[in-house]
Amino acid sequence: MSKQIKFSPDDEEFFGSVGSFGVPKFDNAMNGGVPRGFLVVGFTETGSGLELFAKQLTSPAEEPDNTILISTNESQLEIARVFNKYKWPTDIAVRTLGEEYNAKVLEKELLASRYRLEGFKLPDIQRLAQTRFVDDDTQDFLTEMTNEIMAMGPYFRAVIDSLDFFMQREDQSRVVAMLRMMQAHTQIHRGILFVTVSKDTITPAIKQEMAAIADMVCDFKVRTIGSDFETSMTVSKFRNAPENLSIMVFRVTPEEGITPETVERIA
Amino acid sequence: MQPATVYTRDRCITGIHGMDEILRGGIPYGSTVLAAGTCGSGKTTLGMEFLVRGALAGEACAHFTATEPSVKLLENIRQYAFFDMNMIDSGLINVFDMDVLYSWLGLDKASFDLDDVHALIKAIVDIVNTIGVTRLVIDSVTTLCYKIKSEQLIRDFLFTLGKKLATLGCTTILISEITSATENAHWSSFGVEEAIADGIIVMGDVERMGHLLRFLQVVKMRGTSHSRAKHAIELTPLGVMLTPMLKWGAVSDKTNRWGS
Repeated sequence: MSKQIKFSPDDEEFFGSVGSFGVPKFDNAMNGGVPRGFLVVGFTETGSGLELFAKQLTSPAEEPDNTILISTNESQLEIARVFNKYKWPTDIAVRTLGEEYNAKVLEKELLASRYRLEGFKLPDIQRLAQTRFVDDDTQDFLTEMTNEIMAMGPYFRAVIDSLDFFMQREDQSRVVAMLRMMQAHTQIHRGILFVTVSKDTITPAIKQEMAAIADMVCDFKVRTIGSDFETSMTVSKFRNAPENLSIMVFRVTPEEGITPETVERIA
Repeated sequence: MQPATVYTRDRCITGIHGMDEILRGGIPYGSTVLAAGTCGSGKTTLGMEFLVRGALAGEACAHFTATEPSVKLLENIRQYAFFDMNMIDSGLINVFDMDVLYSWLGLDKASFDLDDVHALIKAIVDIVNTIGVTRLVIDSVTTLCYKIKSEQLIRDFLFTLGKKLATLGCTTILISEITSATENAHWSSFGVEEAIADGIIVMGDVERMGHLLRFLQVVKMRGTSHSRAKHAIELTPLGVMLTPMLKWGAVSDKTNRWGS
């Protein structure tokens, strides 16, 4: 039997049935915004603007302490700079797994390389002789991240940018299994979860499976037109609202971040 | 005519009761000795006492433990009167956990390749060289070699390690776990350790009148003459005691059975 959550009428009224994308024009194009309980998957190409779109999606932050941005590629400093630039709220939770990985895993690997190359010095040997247990700080970042999302309360808003980090290090089917759990949690708690993944890091079968789990699928593309770039987003799946399927050409403005220029309906 | 001068190698006096008599003065310095024994035959105690006797003589000693955590090893060895925790605290005996060493070297994986084996040798040799270790015990070389998948790599590992340690004047006991210590048994798990070692000490059990008696036998020791007789091991609070075994004693030893 699925878990039942009771939502108060006041909360229901406050949060509404949809949440904003963080860009009014996107909300209009999608007939109001992202329905609550949706898992949105963004497939991307390099340079298509998805990183900014992902951050922008956290900007409505109805409840900042119930909003999280999990970034695997950027540092806290870089993220803060973007949020400050666009004047988006900076009181949301931000977790930078790339930085954590560097600190916990890569530094250890670097030290091991040093020991292997240069050997042990006397202080190292003394420390080694006094160390009785292995520092068991091997982290399962995927499980940890899933737990973090699963611990979020009703109407949460979470963005994971991007799943590439896990797809390159873990069994891809395990990543999809975790995504299923997060999707179920999002649905039950009427949250909004947006995950990004590069098309090149996953197999067609995994892409297919992810698209099947998702409530909304966006394909981000970039192409060159003369000496210019054109970035676009194709909404190829929108559960229970096929009228929202569309191709949107967008641009980045200093005031609004990502803004759609043209919207072409597919269905 | 003058008698020819007989050259004798310097010895590492083990200090273990009865052992130096068996070895006619001790283990030749810089030797790599395989102490192969069945479970519970006293290998770890023998190895630890070898280090303690060295430490009492002011030698720097090192113990690499792969079969049990050092915390457990030290707790078990504390019951012996010959052991004093101050030897650890003062750095005379340095006990290293192999899994910590593996972790530091990035070797926390299922199997080792050539680079990993070289890294491990370098680390052990670095430690011996830096702190001037003259007595070393690796307990056990079997556990360590399980991670080395090829027999050739095991051979290279043991040969290179033994050679480098010998150059540094370090006398090494490699503890090896075997399942049987009978006449037809191998003295090592992988078959290559016994060929490379300078000495082989076998430890096991013999049944006598319903009791299992521990025994020790020096099968091979390069650079010295030695007794090849079986000796009974007694693990006393004061340490290992070796006494010659009477030939009739072993029930499993059919050729020596009383009346046969």
